[in-house]
Amino acid sequence: MIMEPAAVSTPLHSSVLWLIPFLPVFGALFNGLTGRRLKNNKLVDLVALGSVFASFLIVAFYFVKLMGMAPENRVVTQTVWTWLSFGDAQVLGGLTRTTMTWAYRIDPLSACMGLLVTGVGFLIHLFSTGYMADERKRGEYYRFMTYLNLFVFSMLNLVLGANMIMMFLGWEGVGLCSYLLIGFYFDREYAAVAGKKAFVTNRIGDFGFLIGFYLLFMIFGSVDFDTQMGLVRGVLAQKELTLFGLSHSPTWWFNLVGCCLFLGACGKSAQIPLYVWLPDAMAGPTPVSALIHAATMVTSGLYMIARMNFIYVNAPVALAVVLFVGALTALVAASMGLAQYDIKKVLAYSTVSQLGFMFMGMGAGAFTAGMFHVFTHAFFKAALFLGSGSVILACHHEQDMRNMGGLRKFMPWTFASMGIATLAIAGIFPFSGFFSKDEILWKVFEGWYAHGTFAGPRLNMIAWAMGMIAAFMTAFYMVRLMVMTFFGEYRGAGHDPHGLTVPSEAHHASPDDGHDAHGHDAHAHGHDDHGHGGHAGPQEVPWNMWFPVALLALLALVGGFLNIPHSLHWIGSSHFSEWLKPLLFQAHGAHEAHGAAPAIEYVLMFVATVVWAPAAMGLAWWFYGADPTWSKPRAFVKRFPELFEWVHAKYYVDEFYEAAFIGPCKQLGAQLWAFDAWAVDGMVNGAARLTLTVSHAFHWFDAKIVDGLVNLVAWILSQVSGGFRKLQTGRVQNYAFVMFLGFLAIALWKFLA
Amino acid sequence: MASMNTVLFISFLLFSVGVAGVLIRRNALVILMCVELMLNAANLNLIAFARHAGTVAGQAFALLVMGLAAAEVAIGLALVVALYRKRDTIQVDNINLLKG
Repeated sequence: MIMEPAAVSTPLHSSVLWLIPFLPVFGALFNGLTGRRLKNNKLVDLVALGSVFASFLIVAFYFVKLMGMAPENRVVTQTVWTWLSFGDAQVLGGLTRTTMTWAYRIDPLSACMGLLVTGVGFLIHLFSTGYMADERKRGEYYRFMTYLNLFVFSMLNLVLGANMIMMFLGWEGVGLCSYLLIGFYFDREYAAVAGKKAFVTNRIGDFGFLIGFYLLFMIFGSVDFDTQMGLVRGVLAQKELTLFGLSHSPTWWFNLVGCCLFLGACGKSAQIPLYVWLPDAMAGPTPVSALIHAATMVTSGLYMIARMNFIYVNAPVALAVVLFVGALTALVAASMGLAQYDIKKVLAYSTVSQLGFMFMGMGAGAFTAGMFHVFTHAFFKAALFLGSGSVILACHHEQDMRNMGGLRKFMPWTFASMGIATLAIAGIFPFSGFFSKDEILWKVFEGWYAHGTFAGPRLNMIAWAMGMIAAFMTAFYMVRLMVMTFFGEYRGAGHDPHGLTVPSEAHHASPDDGHDAHGHDAHAHGHDDHGHGGHAGPQEVPWNMWFPVALLALLALVGGFLNIPHSLHWIGSSHFSEWLKPLLFQAHGAHEAHGAAPAIEYVLMFVATVVWAPAAMGLAWWFYGADPTWSKPRAFVKRFPELFEWVHAKYYVDEFYEAAFIGPCKQLGAQLWAFDAWAVDGMVNGAARLTLTVSHAFHWFDAKIVDGLVNLVAWILSQVSGGFRKLQTGRVQNYAFVMFLGFLAIALWKFLA
Repeated sequence: MASMNTVLFISFLLFSVGVAGVLIRRNALVILMCVELMLNAANLNLIAFARHAGTVAGQAFALLVMGLAAAEVAIGLALVVALYRKRDTIQVDNINLLKG
């Protein structure tokens, strides 16, 4: 083989590659098996944090190693064991030797994802050591850390897996772990319900994912990413492909596969039809929200599409679907974020919206831009989530922003970190969000403009407009969140100068908000445990909580410089795009078409960052900040009560699903159950009863007639023999007497004769 | 010389006493004695008929019967003694091992 040197050097290093995902699983096993008995939570901390940090170091080691390689050779694989071998499988009329292996690969994309998962994951673990203080005392802590470690394992399996089976394992694993973590407070119904919702919604997506995955296997005869990518050109060269007796062009099949896989991505990454689980998932502990819903699990859909770029590049319809669904999600979710009072729900809808942006990037064929937004978003959204966790803890588990305010003075570290993250998500230069989000918007715009005329793909234009509106909303609701939380006066604990606070249970009345409302009193018993001294007012959280937030904020501040758009190359180069380039299928993809002048990009960026986002932020400030009594928003709500209520209730999508799908499904289930209970069970029970009756009859016949006859014979014999038995007295005298009588009779007879 | 009828009558009485004793008495020794009575009645008959017929065959049979009776008593008494040792009684009511 030509690759001889690589093959020689591989075993040495690959001997530790498997440790990256397995260290956390060892941590989970250790804590899960022994944690209940451990008296000391320090050991749980050490194992849980240590395993993730060690994984981080190993990923970093491989990252450095990859950087030292030639760009096209940047991949290290390790086959841990062969899982199953199909032998010679008949695929597309040819024989293919197919094996499925437990194999890991680290390449530019999975190395980045690995750094993200272990790095941000470690910070979140660290934050959890502070945030889960109540659980420490209650002995639930080890369980939380076990789940977190297991989650990191699943996610690493997803991103480092060298084939689709491995990816699917991780895919299902994160689904399971999200269920466990969201439903961590499983003894409270809202959390159990939210966990179930996440799980079921994800299953719907997984259905699509599995179909896409089977189709891919049938097309390529392999599950291995490298093999599939290598075969793409050959497959495309064929006139048509026949599967299941259907003959269509390869592009048609790729479109189908792309759409099916995207359905899976919708479930994991919370896109429009299947996004409903993510806001409810805020029922879990806040570090979970940060881990699952900002940094890891929701990115798996993006990662999968980036990994499958060789499919999507050749599937224009699927790309258009991704683009449009992404744009729609970005817009709708952002609008929902405008009208939420729960600090975590705002961030939840923000996450959904930002994921929509990422999918827009993917849909525009700019995979690197989409992935880049994954990274910057992970930094600033994790910072925001963890920051909100600090805020919630400082406010005695209050989540309603109307009951906060003025925290800027009490929590300077948290305030500064969340402020940076807010500027980043709003897309202000030079924070990281500017580079990633504006690049996505630019790529979408370029996809329209690049055709040289204004008759390019209209969808790109529409999506771009939707994205711009969503970006405006993003800046607005983030400033709203910051202002309501950190500015003005502290409104909690009885200080309420303007009558703005609401009782914590106020929105119990509205059914859809019921879940998170429970979150407040869920911890109520723990109030005195925090050492805040009753209601003395919020205080800054301990270092192990603000430090991760600050570090993430720092990353959010500088992360953007990893990937500078082409037009701003005087600042730096687009390292990230170059880094990922070897993994992308080199076709004349949309992102390759450079038809637009940089001037337009300058203009768009200028508009977005200097006019558009600041305008939104200014509007929010004018609405909420400039007037602490909030007369303007209140007047607005009073003016359009239905509109506000409609948005606040998230357009009643959950209710629509309930009425359109869940209700009928439940009804169908009830009917099936009734059929089962009455007809099927009735038949089974009837058959059983019939058998029982027949056997009873046979038993009676057997016992009475057959046994009776046998016993009758025995009875007669015994009666007869009883009679004879009486003759046998055993007394010689009796016998002699009888003998005597006999003699007497004979003598009498003789005498008479 | 007593008449034949007298002898037969006495023999009849003896035999009857013997039969009655065997059938009625409960003591095994007494029963054995009654058997002897019956044998003696038979001997008496044998001797009487022999004398009447003028032969000695009857006397010979009587002697044989006496010998046999002696042997029988020896065996019978041995059985009774063995029984007594085994069951601590010679009341035939209590000896009912052959009862069905």
